[in-house]
Amino acid sequence: MKSPDLLRLALSRLGTGRLRTALTMLGVVIGVASVVALVAVGQGATRGITSRLEALGTNLLTVNAGSTFSAGTRGAAGSATTLKLADGDALRSLAGVAAVAPQLSTQQLVVAGTKNTTTSIIGTTPDYTTVLAYSVWYGSFLTPASIEGSLRVAVLGATTADDLGLGTEAVGTDVTIGGLSFRVIGILQPKGGTGFQSPDDQVVVPVTTMRAHFVGGDSVRSIGVSVASADQIDVVKAEITAALRSRHGLTGSAADDFSIQDQAQLLGTVESVSSLLTVLLAGIASISLVVGGIGIMNIMLVSVRERTREIGIRKAIGARSRDILAQFLLEALVLSLVGGLVGIAVGLLLSVLIGMLAGWGFTFSPLTVVVAVGFSLLVGIVFGVWPAGQAARLDPVDALRYE
Amino acid sequence: MSGPIIHLEGVSRVYSTGRIEVPALVDIDLEIAAGEFLAIVGPSGSGKSTMMHILGCLDRPTAGRYLLDGTPVDTLDDDGLARLRSRSIGFVFQSYNLLPRTTALENVAAPLMYQGVGRSARLARATAALERLGLGDRLHHQPTELSGGQQQRVGIARAIVTEPAIILADEPTGNLDSHSGDEVIALLRELHATGRTIVLITHDADVAASADRQVHLRDGRVAA
Repeated sequence: MKSPDLLRLALSRLGTGRLRTALTMLGVVIGVASVVALVAVGQGATRGITSRLEALGTNLLTVNAGSTFSAGTRGAAGSATTLKLADGDALRSLAGVAAVAPQLSTQQLVVAGTKNTTTSIIGTTPDYTTVLAYSVWYGSFLTPASIEGSLRVAVLGATTADDLGLGTEAVGTDVTIGGLSFRVIGILQPKGGTGFQSPDDQVVVPVTTMRAHFVGGDSVRSIGVSVASADQIDVVKAEITAALRSRHGLTGSAADDFSIQDQAQLLGTVESVSSLLTVLLAGIASISLVVGGIGIMNIMLVSVRERTREIGIRKAIGARSRDILAQFLLEALVLSLVGGLVGIAVGLLLSVLIGMLAGWGFTFSPLTVVVAVGFSLLVGIVFGVWPAGQAARLDPVDALRYE
Repeated sequence: MSGPIIHLEGVSRVYSTGRIEVPALVDIDLEIAAGEFLAIVGPSGSGKSTMMHILGCLDRPTAGRYLLDGTPVDTLDDDGLARLRSRSIGFVFQSYNLLPRTTALENVAAPLMYQGVGRSARLARATAALERLGLGDRLHHQPTELSGGQQQRVGIARAIVTEPAIILADEPTGNLDSHSGDEVIALLRELHATGRTIVLITHDADVAASADRQVHLRDGRVAA
């Protein structure tokens, strides 16, 4: 028997009993659609999270001050005063380091006209935008001159500016920070908020001004280091560790009094977690695909039973067992494949809708489609083989007698 | 007349249902020559149906030798039997056994499909067979749209379309009124006149009388 003949037989069968065909396919449609849609959700969420993390600066190392340890009680990270401003200057001279921005921070009340908000005040240097991947929306950023002169200038985060009711016209006006008047010189481009500590809710001032008015001493809470290229991160990390240990006089087995946080490492962890999530979602969705497959098997078994006489006739007029097997298997395959294609269409539609609602957009993933088609074919084969085998094994004499 | 097209030698068929063994055919010797019109006659329970299944290669004898057109049937596997049915045998059934929801044309073309004949060739041959049986205007009718007599003629067209060595007709008039039945018998005679070997299986002595030779079965044995 030739393959076009087989295909014609299988297709002609779908036309008869349309409601049953449609309901059988529905199982596969739902299965494939949920796999496609949930994988898209997983991928979209991954993309959303990683793009926000990347917005915080790639190739970023953050050196945090260690914690105090007194009377058997460990203080919070950053509570130690071992990390100095001078450490930042020293790191700047290391090979592979592109930019260094020490950060001091405190909370202060900021007042503009009749509005006020309490937010983080960051004391830092002009490199801050490079290290943390900020860009200036309006106005300008800190300059070396503003650092040297300890000028009372401030750059507002987008959210902070919004909270204070300030727009572009605010550049050049004054706000009050902790009771002192500061000139607003710029507003930062928003990055998009994540969590309760938004990167857009802050006020940036020169580190020297910060020390003069709000935080005493020369210790900093953290130093952001931007590494020139991603493959140098490990080398630079080791360099920083060595440099800081020697500067702090730590030798031998003495523990570090600082810690280095690696943005790329964090990104990698988040990516692996969210791809695990995607696999998990796909796994849950494929359960419905299995249920759809069982629906196909169920209908095929009923169909073999109903068509026992037809099978007997076909055998009497010369069909071999493998012709019968192929006919029924192909019917199951066509059912699952057509169901799969409809499912892909529905799934992609759902992905687009969900992407629009969640705001992470939609990217077409051909791999998902290929895998979904493959899976529905597999379902057809796995759940079609047994009924088809039953049909093929029927004894022609018994099948012809069957009423 | 050439040599025998069917040669049965000591053929038995025993059905085992649990511990009880039921002999349906016992030690049958039979030769059918090419071009013969033979009737196998017997009451129900005489082993007619078993005989038809064995002759039609739907079943194998439990003992004895069966040569169909020189091919030993008892040694063939299922695929071998299927090939033999496809090439050498045309069935005409009491209840027509047409494929449901399938046009007369596709029904008649179906045996050629299993022979691997291309679609246009088989439709041409099926059309010719149906036209020969006077059904040229019923090609695209489904079985439910045809009368009993017409359905049986489609069945006969399907049996002859492959030009088989023998045509096995199992009670071909059993479901028909006498007029249609006579028509079918006349058709079989006509086919016989063109040189076909026909084996007619029936319980009806009048129908059997239309054959050239009769073999009577009683309790699984050849009676006369």
